[in-house]
Amino acid sequence: MTTVPAAQTRGNFRHNHLLQGLLGWYILIWGVLAISPVDRRDWFLENILALLLVGILVVTYRSFPFSDLSYVLITLFLTLHAIGAHYTYAEVPFGFSIKSLFELERNHFDRVAHFASGLLLTYPIRELFARKAQIRGGWAYVFPVVTLLALSGFFEVIESWVAQIVSPELGDAYLGTQGDIWDAQKDMTAALSGAILAMGITAAWSARRRGRAAAREGRPQKTVPPS
Amino acid sequence: MVSPNKLLLKGLLAWYVLFSVWMAIDPVDRQNWVLANVLPVLFVGVLVATHRKFPFSNVSYVLITLFLTLHTIGVHYTYAQVPFGYWMEAAFELHRNHFDRVVHFCFGLLLTYPMGEAFVLLANVRGVLVYYLSLITPLGLSGIWEIIESWVAQVVSPELGDAYLGSQGDIWDAQQDMAAAFYGAILCVLLMIAIRRWYQRSGWLLIT
Repeated sequence: MTTVPAAQTRGNFRHNHLLQGLLGWYILIWGVLAISPVDRRDWFLENILALLLVGILVVTYRSFPFSDLSYVLITLFLTLHAIGAHYTYAEVPFGFSIKSLFELERNHFDRVAHFASGLLLTYPIRELFARKAQIRGGWAYVFPVVTLLALSGFFEVIESWVAQIVSPELGDAYLGTQGDIWDAQKDMTAALSGAILAMGITAAWSARRRGRAAAREGRPQKTVPPS
Repeated sequence: MVSPNKLLLKGLLAWYVLFSVWMAIDPVDRQNWVLANVLPVLFVGVLVATHRKFPFSNVSYVLITLFLTLHTIGVHYTYAQVPFGYWMEAAFELHRNHFDRVVHFCFGLLLTYPMGEAFVLLANVRGVLVYYLSLITPLGLSGIWEIIESWVAQVVSPELGDAYLGSQGDIWDAQQDMAAAFYGAILCVLLMIAIRRWYQRSGWLLIT
């Protein structure tokens, strides 16, 4: 909680206009993208985990409300995922523009989304650790990264199961390996890089806030890593 | 908390050194042997250097030694050619030598508990969080391991890369290795919970 300004509206959905807006936005974009996805079955598969996550967030809102910043980050990620699911990831238009711009061999939108999962979801995970388990110091940055990496690995395992169970052609679209034998490793690397970057930004931001607070109160600045 | 038995530690270290020296004689592939020994040697060095400051329990040191012994055997035979793996292949009618999969499983089964103790010692973690972190860390480390393997396989000459990687032509190898480690970790955490009452009384372990 130390890095997040305590909002009076936390846990009070009726008075939190930002949160209302985020939920409204997600329902809207999700609804629009649900109308005619490129592949309905793939869209369905991709949405199982996403809707599970939204369900958990809604159910646990009263007992554990995240900070507004965390909800913004989660909504951003879910928006990216909704777009990916609509186009089966392998055919996202933005991915094709990256492909032609950087002269790549394939549509890299899924890689972008893996990176985004690290960049956007590690901060909320850190908040969970900091508030629920009172983890302090450097470990409050390490544990969220490990969690995200483990989730990423677990996701790759699930993907491989789905690809093997579901018909191979759809499996391949869902899997998004797109013919790359190192796909799983690269996806995890992308997620890990995003997670490390997110924790780097959080640490820098946290140190700056501490520095300012110390300067305001005329205390000497501490060099201890922020919690 | 019980500090580790000095005699036991010396015995375990002596066993590992002697066994490694024995397994260093005429390995199947010397370059592969060197590559695969970098991390274990570093790891043992760190354990020896920190054993006073961060004393793990006897049980942890035994589990770590067991795992390193398995790894030393695997490295001697480049994993893909371990005799025991061939025996399993014949006995269970498998398509390939699965010794590497066994060791991935053992990574979860044998090292999950020591990792839990590491969190207690280093990060002062308590309660349910110890079990959660013990469960996910082997999975995360397996992911990092697969990433490193893929880099090595791409940098080093492809044939050695493949032996080192141990994918042996399986496109889902990385996922199955990670899943194996995770199953091992789940089993270990279940065991930890099952014998919790007993070891809380015994005072043998650090996690309470």
